[in-house]
Amino acid sequence: MRQTGNGGFSRRAALRIAGAAGLFAIYPGRISFAEAARVFDIAVEEGAISVDGVRSRAVMMGGSVPAPVLRWREGEEVVIHATNRLREPTSIHWHGLLIDGEMDGAPGFNGFAPIAPGETYTYRFRLRQSGTYWYHSHSAMQEQSGMYGAIVIEPTGRDPVRTDRDYVVVLSDHTVERPERVLGKLKANPGYYNRGKRTLMDFLSDARREGLGAALRDRREWGEMRMDPTDLADVTGYAFLINGRGPADNWTGLFQPGERVRLRFINASAMSFFDVRIPGLPMTVVAADGQNVQPVRVDEFRFGVGETYDVVVLPREERAFTIFAEPIDRSGFARATLAPRAGMEGEIPERRPRTILSMADMGEAHGGMDHSGHAAPVSAAAASGHAGHGGHGGHGGHGGHAGHGGAEAAGGPARPFGWADAATPPGMKALSYADLRSLVRNPDPRPPSHEIEVQLTGIMERYIWTLNGAKHDHGAPIRVRYGDRVRITFVNTTMMAHPMHLHGMFVELENGETERRPRKHVVVVPPGLRVSVLLTADEPGDWPFHCHLLYHMASGMMTRFVVERNTARL
Amino acid sequence: MTSILLRMASAKGVALAAGLSLATGAAALAAPGHHGGHGFAYGQPGKAAAATRTITITMHDNYYEPERIQVRAGETVRLIVVNKGELLHEFAIGRPEDHAEHQKMMAEMVDHGMITATSVDHQKMKMDHSGGGHGSHGSHQHSHGPEAGNLLLEPGKTAEMVWTFPKDGVIEFACNIPGHYEAGMVGKIDFRR
Repeated sequence: MRQTGNGGFSRRAALRIAGAAGLFAIYPGRISFAEAARVFDIAVEEGAISVDGVRSRAVMMGGSVPAPVLRWREGEEVVIHATNRLREPTSIHWHGLLIDGEMDGAPGFNGFAPIAPGETYTYRFRLRQSGTYWYHSHSAMQEQSGMYGAIVIEPTGRDPVRTDRDYVVVLSDHTVERPERVLGKLKANPGYYNRGKRTLMDFLSDARREGLGAALRDRREWGEMRMDPTDLADVTGYAFLINGRGPADNWTGLFQPGERVRLRFINASAMSFFDVRIPGLPMTVVAADGQNVQPVRVDEFRFGVGETYDVVVLPREERAFTIFAEPIDRSGFARATLAPRAGMEGEIPERRPRTILSMADMGEAHGGMDHSGHAAPVSAAAASGHAGHGGHGGHGGHGGHAGHGGAEAAGGPARPFGWADAATPPGMKALSYADLRSLVRNPDPRPPSHEIEVQLTGIMERYIWTLNGAKHDHGAPIRVRYGDRVRITFVNTTMMAHPMHLHGMFVELENGETERRPRKHVVVVPPGLRVSVLLTADEPGDWPFHCHLLYHMASGMMTRFVVERNTARL
Repeated sequence: MTSILLRMASAKGVALAAGLSLATGAAALAAPGHHGGHGFAYGQPGKAAAATRTITITMHDNYYEPERIQVRAGETVRLIVVNKGELLHEFAIGRPEDHAEHQKMMAEMVDHGMITATSVDHQKMKMDHSGGGHGSHGSHQHSHGPEAGNLLLEPGKTAEMVWTFPKDGVIEFACNIPGHYEAGMVGKIDFRR
């Protein structure tokens, strides 16, 4: 082990003093005399970025893509003056932060109005948590164009993870097309970007493998549902970036052999799920969505848009390692390097095959159902390896991709297939939602008093994505009372996975844990499956609740989650 | 096997806090670290009477306090370890390579259900041990428990051991429960000149 430096003690002492000073802030919300607020100025403006030598337009915060890392400390109050230098309204949303409704920065919610061109809006809030988060636009398609950045909040107490180095690793997808034009094309032809459409040759190879009858049957069923089994991502033609750099640009993080390196992975893409690995270097996952988890060692993980994972790696050899992230449709890759010296390169690993969705991703009872409208029958939680529903003991085992939709054979972990199949080699461990255990006990032991079912719905042919069959602000909001303990069950009736994001509060993922459910702000709901979460509705407001795939949200996959304030009556 | 348990039980001052009769079929650390006889490259069990002082180390989730202790070359120290966390933790003395080996064994123990995130399954631990077939008793004696410089503590438990440090070396105290070492649950032994 390398010495962590004797600065450790003195810094901790300093933090304790800061924490104690916080106690004198008797009037929360006001600026405490004991602790001056930290002030930031962030301009939102158009610019250009260069990815692997190709220049394109970008929307930036603070003059770069990604935006500057905001390094803050739990307990402190921050003030951000956000100035809009675009020709259209903008907004900055602080993804994952526990925050007063208006400060959350989502236009149309909690009384927050978009920031008009030329105007400056002042955000002011006290940090009530620590961990890895991010910030991004919640207006139009600005996030797709580069308006995203990382937030790292140091805890007031001792961080249960101690490393020698600490890097933010922001993954994103970048298109040289104007995002509005992408959405227009999707509306006109949802298959526009699907370059992986199955061909006659694929059919012949299916027939060889499964027999002609099965292949024909499978084709017919897909045809009836007007879906394509390679439908993993709506949009392709992306460049995949790590910290704003393309694979040739090769962002590099330095280390000395023997050091512990913390990597804070953030999926800040608009539309891409990534499979992430560092060949030759096992990763120990220590936090999910900014919340500490019991360390779990994996070789790779898949994460959805909006999710974050902190991992620790311990490179002992004096060589370069490649951080490799493939989107699940395998239309390209993001690549970066960890190395003892700048300019070193590791090997680019072999690309993984693209996942082919199976009929199982449609749910089990697809025969005889009405397949119109891109709806898939949903498989029961028990059959799919989900402990989620009801938290009863029928957990499918920790070997499979429980949280990610891998169906498991009875009696033991089987290879995940369909959506969940990341083509993980035998003997390698891919993170599953079932592996996530909160480091601390869940604070609210109450069972849920009622259950809210949220159907994830859509009509692919018209590129309409909805919740409970209704576009945003066409359906009724979800209402709960302040303090309620509720279960939210997501029922995915579509053929795509949806990363569901609730603003303002963390949900506890029902993954088989009873006292240490992981707390998340984004929960991936795989195709044709149910996933349930528990929520203590302890933040009053009307919160956005949406699919974090940008074009899905833009086409209506969002609703209003209202936590009603208690009235003074009675 | 029997000898190991008897020796542990009779070891003066050893609290049988949390299943110190640790052992598995996994490869032992034995050979590489040996300086012959009872010693390891990272020291050997000491006599209580020879202990010059007591050092208390507190375990949290997932770190130690303090994270650095100073000893003199060849010094014998009484080590008291208190688990104030909510999870199961280990206090193991060794070189980084010893810990790397130990981690493989701990991972197997988790796989076999011998230890969970919070507890030791003493029943399974015994069964697995008597099942035998792997390694020699000799190597077990040198791999587990205070005799080998390691303690496994459930939440709330306290244990202690007397340890004679070598004259020098790169020696850490570490928790080898899967993931804990990587996350930084490790401390350094400084040799004072």
